[in-house]
Amino acid sequence: MSDEDVKAETDSKPDADAETKAKAKAKAEPKPEPEPQAKPDAEAETKPEVKPIKPAIIRCQGIGRTFWRGKERLDVLEDLDLEIAEGSFEALMGPSGSGKTTLLNLIAGLDRPSKGRLDVAGRNIGEMSDAALAKWRSQTIGFVFQHFNLIPVLTALENVQLPLLLTKVPSSERKQRAQTALRVVGLEDRMHHRPQQLSGGQEQRVGIARAIVHDPKIIVADEPTGELDRQSADEVLTLLERLNREFGKTILMVTHDPAAAERATVLRKLDKGRLL
Amino acid sequence: MTLVGLSIKNVSRNRLRAVLTVFGVAIALLAFVFIRTTLDAWTGGAEHAAQDRLGTMHKVTFTMDLPRTYFDELDGTRGSVPGVKAATYQSWFGAKHPVREQEFFATIAVDTDTFFQVYEDMEVPAEQLAAWKEDRQGAIIGEALAKQFGWSVGDDVTLVGTIYPGDWKFTIEGIYTAKRRAVDKSQFLFHWKYLNESMKEQAPARAERIGWMTTLIEGSARGAEVAQAIDARFEERDIQTRTMSERALNMEFLGSFGAILTALDVVSGVILVIMMLILGNTIAMSVRERTNEYGVLLALGFRPKHIALFVMGEGIAVGLLGGLVGLALAYPFINGMGRWIEDNMGSFFPYFQIPPHVAITSLALAMLLAGLAAVIPAYRASRLDVIDALRRIG
Repeated sequence: MSDEDVKAETDSKPDADAETKAKAKAKAEPKPEPEPQAKPDAEAETKPEVKPIKPAIIRCQGIGRTFWRGKERLDVLEDLDLEIAEGSFEALMGPSGSGKTTLLNLIAGLDRPSKGRLDVAGRNIGEMSDAALAKWRSQTIGFVFQHFNLIPVLTALENVQLPLLLTKVPSSERKQRAQTALRVVGLEDRMHHRPQQLSGGQEQRVGIARAIVHDPKIIVADEPTGELDRQSADEVLTLLERLNREFGKTILMVTHDPAAAERATVLRKLDKGRLL
Repeated sequence: MTLVGLSIKNVSRNRLRAVLTVFGVAIALLAFVFIRTTLDAWTGGAEHAAQDRLGTMHKVTFTMDLPRTYFDELDGTRGSVPGVKAATYQSWFGAKHPVREQEFFATIAVDTDTFFQVYEDMEVPAEQLAAWKEDRQGAIIGEALAKQFGWSVGDDVTLVGTIYPGDWKFTIEGIYTAKRRAVDKSQFLFHWKYLNESMKEQAPARAERIGWMTTLIEGSARGAEVAQAIDARFEERDIQTRTMSERALNMEFLGSFGAILTALDVVSGVILVIMMLILGNTIAMSVRERTNEYGVLLALGFRPKHIALFVMGEGIAVGLLGGLVGLALAYPFINGMGRWIEDNMGSFFPYFQIPPHVAITSLALAMLLAGLAAVIPAYRASRLDVIDALRRIG
């Protein structure tokens, strides 16, 4: 199922909910530097067979994820097919328990599918060892968490350097890169502040700086605005948009926030382990 | 910032807990160092005993006495037994201060003519020595004992006998100083003849008896051979002797306190084990609180071994800090107290200072045990499932 298929299906529902309408409205509006996958829905509806111009960086083929709670089997994801083009900014929505975070965890290499094949950035996630997967994550994925998850005893600059500790980058260059990342998120004047000295929005921007400092291909964001007020949320979303547009990062964002989903170029909906 | 730096920074995360934990380790280490120093001082006193002096005592036990005539024979061996330079004899008197009877000091009846020839490491001004020899009730005391009881030359002193009952009157005729640290500076030395004459009157059966003999051997002589030759002299008598170096004699004396020493040894180990368990619990609590952070680190690509090393590193850092604080407290406390102990309990503890090997071992043990305490929390942290860990709200 292609992105356009998803969008066409979603948008064609007569009783589409408010956020879907908002999404459709947003998609209908012209955007600066539109990416192929960010084309207005009208185009998606008329050309549902059009494939992304850029190659898929994430490809799920019939993947499923099953958990066991005692003897009870829980199929959180079932036969899911999905392709996400390189350089896209996609939002994933759905009710609680629909499998969004599970899918995000699979794509981020935090988990492996119970069945099917999952290729991310050219690697088959299911076949990688734990060590290889950890190394791959450290090079390929940038994480943005709902609760920011900064280390409280470290300054912003030190927090951002964390992913680089796993590399052979010299200390001086680590610091330089972290400073650059903090400048990108507009926190050059907060480098030596600890998390408790920052506002929620600033903490999340430090989290984003940490997610980009090692120049990953993909950024996964799990409810990145879930803990923020509207203004801070908008700032964070603007930043994600900028990372997508200017730096070409592929962003996959799980969110419950329709306003956040609106900022993505592609919206996907998930329910009961299946893409709608 | 480095991986090690991150581990160390974690120590200061909860400042109150960190300070309490470090002080807990420090106090445990202080107690450990104190006990080890006590043990070392106790046995060290014996080890520091003169090696060129031999003690000859009753073959059965040092609490049984010898005939006075044995000394004449031993003294006569000079020339016939190679290596004997000088000899003297003594009897353990065991008296106490009439009022401050809990304050122990050695009271020994000695042969005034020969004692200071053998104990060359004790020094008495010549005029005091001469006065002492002239006064049958004269006593020479150590400088520490003089300080302890405020006695000075010319003072009349009465002691209460325990082994030899009654009130015994003395006059302080001299105060000796020590040329070596290991010399007991709190002895009370008086004329054996004073004791013997009293015994002749009060208990004739106890007269003409001596506790032990001490021989100073030539520097080049081999102690074991001289000891063998001395014992050979009395081999065919009713009372046989056993001669050994002063060090061996002291060690044998210490052997009678074996149970106490063993108990102290065990207690010092128990203190460390308790410290380790408390530290382990603290580290485990800290790890539980940081589960979410470990999840984040794992997500970022850190491996389980990194997580384990963070926890271990944190434990070792706490051990090191606690150890250093413990030693920083121990040196002024124990060594300060040690100087008082050396002066006042010199017969048991001629040396009471923290030996370097005790300090180094304590620090190493603090780090090692803190590392061991962190093993289980580290293992559990390294086994965390990244997704489960991320779900825990930090």
